[in-house]
Amino acid sequence: MKSLNIKKFAVIAILLGLVGFAFTPAADRITVKGSDTMVILAQKWAEVYMKSNPNAAIQVTGGGSGVGISALINGATDIANASRKMKPSEKDKLKSRYNTLGVEVACAKDGITIYLNPANKVKELTIKQLSEIFKGNIKNWKEVGGSDAEIKLYGRENSSGTYVFFQENVVKGDYAPSCQTLPGTAAVVNAVTKDPAGIGYGGAAYATGIEICKVKKDDKSAGSIPTAETIKTGEYPITRYLYMYLRNKPTGAMKSYIDWILSTEGQKLVVEMGYFPVK
Amino acid sequence: MNMKKLSLIALMFVSALFFKANAQEATVNEKLTEVNDKVSGLTERLATDEADLQKLTKIKVSGYIQAQWQKTYSLASDPMNNYFSIRRARVKFTYEAADGVKFVLQPDFSPQAITLKDAYVVLNDRWTKAFSLTAGKFNRPNYEVEYSSSQREVIERSSVIRAIYPGERAIGAKLEFNPQSLPLHVQLALFNGADALQIKKADGTYLYDAKSTFVSSADENKDYDNGKDLMVRATYNIKLGNFGGLDLGAHGYFGSLKSMSTSTLTSDYKTVNNANIGDVIKRNWAGGEFQLFADILGGLSVKGEYIAGKNASVGYKPVFNADKTLATAGLPNYQNNFAGYYLYFIKNLGKKNQFAFRYDYYDPNTDIKAKDLTSAASVVGYASADKSYVKKITTGDLATTTFGLALHHYFDDNLRITLEYDIVQNEKVGAANVLTGNYTKLDGTSTGGKDASGNALPAGLDYSKNVNNNLLTLRIQAKF
Repeated sequence: MKSLNIKKFAVIAILLGLVGFAFTPAADRITVKGSDTMVILAQKWAEVYMKSNPNAAIQVTGGGSGVGISALINGATDIANASRKMKPSEKDKLKSRYNTLGVEVACAKDGITIYLNPANKVKELTIKQLSEIFKGNIKNWKEVGGSDAEIKLYGRENSSGTYVFFQENVVKGDYAPSCQTLPGTAAVVNAVTKDPAGIGYGGAAYATGIEICKVKKDDKSAGSIPTAETIKTGEYPITRYLYMYLRNKPTGAMKSYIDWILSTEGQKLVVEMGYFPVK
Repeated sequence: MNMKKLSLIALMFVSALFFKANAQEATVNEKLTEVNDKVSGLTERLATDEADLQKLTKIKVSGYIQAQWQKTYSLASDPMNNYFSIRRARVKFTYEAADGVKFVLQPDFSPQAITLKDAYVVLNDRWTKAFSLTAGKFNRPNYEVEYSSSQREVIERSSVIRAIYPGERAIGAKLEFNPQSLPLHVQLALFNGADALQIKKADGTYLYDAKSTFVSSADENKDYDNGKDLMVRATYNIKLGNFGGLDLGAHGYFGSLKSMSTSTLTSDYKTVNNANIGDVIKRNWAGGEFQLFADILGGLSVKGEYIAGKNASVGYKPVFNADKTLATAGLPNYQNNFAGYYLYFIKNLGKKNQFAFRYDYYDPNTDIKAKDLTSAASVVGYASADKSYVKKITTGDLATTTFGLALHHYFDDNLRITLEYDIVQNEKVGAANVLTGNYTKLDGTSTGGKDASGNALPAGLDYSKNVNNNLLTLRIQAKF
């Protein structure tokens, strides 16, 4: 009786394993989740692509890079948009849950923009000054050539890729506890617009109705703002790639969509939306 | 009514309106100031609350519960052969005190007791971000040990890992090197080395240190000797283009226990070497590992590890009692050569299901080949000088293979249900009843030996055949 049970179980298990070999389910509906920085671009891509491909169904939501990557790991989304690279710990989770290393697609470039209120006398800052400001070590605008006013910091939540990128590449330490965290780049821009002593950071595409601060690599270099030219030449010091992460190599509808995003047409929309193309 | 009166009334009316408007304006101004003050107050409170909330976000709580039903296919488990149990119930608290500083505390709850699984501090190097230091009680550096029970594709760790790393965790300190520019990870750890080892004295009590003060084995918070055990593990990740990736690694354990006996028996059960109290009894082994991840057919992986070396346990010296003619027999130290390996194959079945099998082999004594045990005379052993202590080859020296088949269904990120069947096979001795595994059943009846009247009892499990120890498990895991 026991040996019969073993055989039955082994046969069922092997058959199920073979079934797994036989097919990989193809996605007919594509869900995209993640970076708030990228959400307007991703929505535009989906909108334009669905117009020319009526059979395609693409759903785009934000939430932050960390949220998108978590959703990719737990199977809740097909594409995770991220404004930072996947962390080794996230790659390990993907490995253990889906046995793949994931697929990284660099789909656009961005210049992290420093937002200032137009009333602010300060028009340019060095990377070092930005670090000290966001760490809370420089507390008053007069310390960097501005008026005598307390600096008000506005930033993103820690699930945001922009938060992580800015911390790792500019702040290089802990953010000041006084930095007010806001749920989205648009909210950061809005807060700085209303606060003459405010300073914030975020994607270049959101920088409308606001003063863009020139950023200098150091005291000696010239300040620049993020433009296609300064990003291409590397003159603007805070640039990054924007990524799409997938669990597996894209096939079928997913492959067509990714190929289109990287095509001239898809990259043209990148520029239209205020970002910078990958090539 | 004359014009004067009318004018007076009109004037009074206009004045009243004017005063009323002024009064209203004053009231509005007052209200505005009041609202402004309230908003300022609320903003201040919000900033304070946000600062407090920010502190709370530094604390992360996660955990999981594994409840299961198991059916054993073993004579030794008769008549009770199926039961419900809680395999693990853990809550993990992580506090990120500052950038690069982390505290972790993880208790495990069982119906009988609460035990401490993890308690450690991690300090990351904030400058190069390549080094980190861990101190406390944490997982020993090994692939299967460090792979979380909540993620593992076959529900229990392999036999060899369970044998050489009992309890998985140990108390010590670890230095890690994980450069950002290279896919290399090196771990160097020092442990007390006695964690979860059953070191027993002649009278049945347990010892813990060189002062010969004996305490319960549960007291693992102190070392047994002054020597520390060293562990090294290095892994390197190789990308294989669009195909996937290959992780290669190796680890070594270089440890010892202090001899409490005057002799050491090796696992051929023939060689006995003289030893001194305080001598170092070595426990050394090394292993190689690989994990292949292939992005084909929706994702699959093959993982394996081979470990071999010499393990040891310590004995005790003879105890002389003034009022007795004979001393209590001493127990020699024991060193066994062992080998073991495992091989996993894991395949996703769509997004919600996963299939896994593992072939797992462990030979606790590579010096003994079971097929050579063809008669009672071939079952050799060691006897103390007064013959009161005999240590012979037992079923514990036989190799075991386990073929585990598991199917997982992920309801969502939090809930996983697993059906697993483990087919366990033993190394077979050369003749019937040369080695038997006698046992006492739950109903009190025994196998082997003699009953109270001196009558021989029927022998227990015969290891010339396969002794069925198969196991069916249905487990549900809730994770948060």
